[in-house]
Amino acid sequence: MSLQDELKAQIVKRLPELDVVIGWGQGYDSLHRTPLFITSEADVDKLVFDPLCVHNLSTYLTRYGSAKRIGVVVKGCDSRSVVELLQEKLIHRDKVMVFGLPCEGVADLGKVKRALAAKDLDMGRVRAASFADGDLVVTVSGQEIRLPMAEVQADKCGRCRYHNAVIHDEFAGQPITEAAPDTYADVAAFEEQTLEERMEFWREQMERCVRCYACRNACPLCVCRDYCIGQSREPNWVSQRDGLEEKFFFQMIHATHLAGRCTECGECERACPVDIPLLLLKRKLGKEILELFDYRAGTDPDAKPPLLNFKVQEDTINERGW
Amino acid sequence: MKIGVFVCHCGSNIAGTVDVVQVAEAAKSMPEVAFAKDTMYACSEPGQQGIIDAIKEMGLDGAVVASCTPRMHGSTFMRTVARAGLNPYMFEMANIREHVSWIGKDKVANTRKAIDLVRMAVAKLAQNKPLYSQSFSINKRVMIIGGGVAGIQAALDCADGGLQVVLVEKTTTIGGKMAKLDKTFPTVDCSSCILGPRMVDVAQHPNITLHASAEVDEVFGYVGNYQVEVRKKATYVNWKTCTGCGACMEKCPSKKSKDPFNELIGTTTAINIPFPQAIPKRASIDRDSCIKFKTGKCGICAKVCPTKAIDYDQQDEMITEEVGAIIAATGFDLMDWHVYGQYGAGRYPDVITSLQYERMLSASGPTGGHIKRPSDKKEPKTIVFIQCVGSRDKSVGRPYCTGFCCMYTAKQAILTKDHIPDSESYVFYMDIRAPGKMYDEFTRRAMEEYGAKYIRGRVSMVYPQDGKMIVRGVDTLAGAQVEVEADLVVLAVGAEGAAGSAQLAEKLRISYDSYGFFMEGHPKLKPVETNTAGVYLAGCAQGPKDIPSSVAQGSAAAAKVLSLFSKDQLQSDPQVSKVDLKRCVGCMKCAITCPFGAIKETEVRGEIKAQVIETICQGCGICTSTCRQGAIQLQNFTDNQILAEVNALLSSETEEA
Repeated sequence: MSLQDELKAQIVKRLPELDVVIGWGQGYDSLHRTPLFITSEADVDKLVFDPLCVHNLSTYLTRYGSAKRIGVVVKGCDSRSVVELLQEKLIHRDKVMVFGLPCEGVADLGKVKRALAAKDLDMGRVRAASFADGDLVVTVSGQEIRLPMAEVQADKCGRCRYHNAVIHDEFAGQPITEAAPDTYADVAAFEEQTLEERMEFWREQMERCVRCYACRNACPLCVCRDYCIGQSREPNWVSQRDGLEEKFFFQMIHATHLAGRCTECGECERACPVDIPLLLLKRKLGKEILELFDYRAGTDPDAKPPLLNFKVQEDTINERGW
Repeated sequence: MKIGVFVCHCGSNIAGTVDVVQVAEAAKSMPEVAFAKDTMYACSEPGQQGIIDAIKEMGLDGAVVASCTPRMHGSTFMRTVARAGLNPYMFEMANIREHVSWIGKDKVANTRKAIDLVRMAVAKLAQNKPLYSQSFSINKRVMIIGGGVAGIQAALDCADGGLQVVLVEKTTTIGGKMAKLDKTFPTVDCSSCILGPRMVDVAQHPNITLHASAEVDEVFGYVGNYQVEVRKKATYVNWKTCTGCGACMEKCPSKKSKDPFNELIGTTTAINIPFPQAIPKRASIDRDSCIKFKTGKCGICAKVCPTKAIDYDQQDEMITEEVGAIIAATGFDLMDWHVYGQYGAGRYPDVITSLQYERMLSASGPTGGHIKRPSDKKEPKTIVFIQCVGSRDKSVGRPYCTGFCCMYTAKQAILTKDHIPDSESYVFYMDIRAPGKMYDEFTRRAMEEYGAKYIRGRVSMVYPQDGKMIVRGVDTLAGAQVEVEADLVVLAVGAEGAAGSAQLAEKLRISYDSYGFFMEGHPKLKPVETNTAGVYLAGCAQGPKDIPSSVAQGSAAAAKVLSLFSKDQLQSDPQVSKVDLKRCVGCMKCAITCPFGAIKETEVRGEIKAQVIETICQGCGICTSTCRQGAIQLQNFTDNQILAEVNALLSSETEEA
């Protein structure tokens, strides 16, 4: 039985206990998948799982209130968001059923677009897409193009430590055994630059921000929604003025509010319509948290996150000389 | 809103370096300001009346007083505003003294900064809302931490005043450092003869519960309602049945155990009662020395104990005591003098501390009151006392004067002559510090009647030679190098806060300095209070002091507790956190970070929400910075109030730019 069929069978079996199961379905074209909300057995047939299933579906878990029982299909990275939400009591274990999957990596459609553009082809004209021998095979303008996954895979997948869902009630397929170490080499390389160079980089990037809040809406841990401090008038931390300071301030609030919570799923960056490398900002904080507290968010639902944990004397920050 | 601004001259304290008239003039053009005036002393009776009159005549809604720190007069002016019929929280203070006039001499810059601070205070006040206190009842029990002479005095005074007292002592007996002393200055009366009866009073007082061999593990709660978790450390002897007969000590085969009570110059048995007058007079086993614990064999004490009190399996026991106030009287320890390489850094057995010498002088000490030098047990004839070891010495990070060393060194010189009439004492000193009743006369007696040779100067080196300790120093009065061949060298080692005092301070949420001494509420006017309501200080825990001062402070702390407990109800501070239910997502992160346990979970229409218990909240604001959506706000310090201040400050910057 294929992994997809195994997953479908599991959902069919568990559906009677649940109000809805969130998975992925076919999107508006052959390269896009879209969130699928399964409420009946008939919907299960529409379920898809392949490397184009990029969305972190746990984002939807906090939108149902605490009365409903919800199933969610997760890859390794997505499952860490579920763990984080559980840890922060934003969802409750008995109200959530996790369908875990192994994942070898998802495609970055930006990379696909650029790879096709390099061959003078337009991603919008892709008529069919499939996967064979580690290649993404697309039919575009009458040609069949093979793009090696290694070239079009999302950056986060190349350094993934958690290919398998870290938490699950059902698990389809075989767990993947290898895991990359993730040494934060990308952040370390960025840190090599001078303060002025880094400031100039971010100034250029942030200029493009249109404050559409897509990054925030895609983030599974941004749970304030209508009361987001970034657009609230009471308290009015950030004005609605369209200036670099406000854009920068909003993004810094977003990043610092995620310090020690962000699982680096990269949904903010994927959702950004103007390609601001937001994950770099989040990973910088992730690196700091790892170095200071030896902590990776979203790995243990019972862990007490370091920034919510009051210790008179931190183990790694010796302020008092005790 | 109509705001009145009152700019205080504070005599010349502020007006000397700030143009207060200009500040008041500038305030008139600030938004919402209906009235602004300078005043000579805002806190004086006419000054306060001026504020009240202005509020009433102009129909003001709130007042800004630009004067000193709110720690000084914040509550004064809140009462003033209340007397004028306004809510006391419709008031803001701009600190233009400590933050402006006292720290800068440039009048133009000072005036500009004072105007900025006033502008910020006005902007904040425009956002203020009336707040109302709640009353809560108090638990009239007091905990005293530390059973030295200060703690004993505080315990007895509180207990005599009718309060239930819980006395927690770290070691197995109360008495503290004073119990180790032989005699006391300036009367040379026996220390245990005067302290002993007080210790017995503690044991026998019906209002005092004594927990010896116990330490404070955690402190929860707030003034009037503290919950203190006390760890009663295992003594491996059931103290309910132990009678203190001492049979176990006689038979214990492990006779070479470390004796901390005797400052390690003698040895004791693994099971021991530290000294004959110990309270409680109960035996305890030193695990590290006990053969039973080391090898599993022995068990002699259990065999000889007539009441079968020995319990090798005893565990630490946790108890929770509920009290309304806490007095910290944890005392001092000697600083680690081993940093002094020139005095041998502990390599020479005949260089000892003053406290070790004190045990040698004591009839109940390890030498039975005979002065014997540790190396060969011979009676020393020439004894050199070196003062200021770890006092007034920046080179070892001890800039302060311990204060009592001059006096006890003189006492020890006198006692030395009494013990060994043909002995000679030399005292190397920096200055003689003997202010106090009969104190200077006492040091004079040491010199004039007892012939102690006082040499004003520091010692550069101490080293052994032919069975003597050669002490090389300088006599600054004679302007000459001196060398003394001593049999014994006694170091007057300075005091620091007792070991673990910093950790205790964190639990009590009080401030402490880098030497481990607790910070008083005000160096002059609040010497026994702390900045945490309901926590008081007594004795050397607050700073080095001699016995009379420690006793006086113990009584003073007791008086503070008795006055606190003279009311049945206390008023809560309404500057507490408040939850905006529609914003709260029920993640309860605020509850996790709250150091006071002031936030509980509640259910509103089926959804979890946070709720603040107003009487427990101390208004620290940690929850407000934890809450990402700003759903929990500290009243009187809301995001909007802080933002108003920041914006007011920045708006003046932009105007100037």
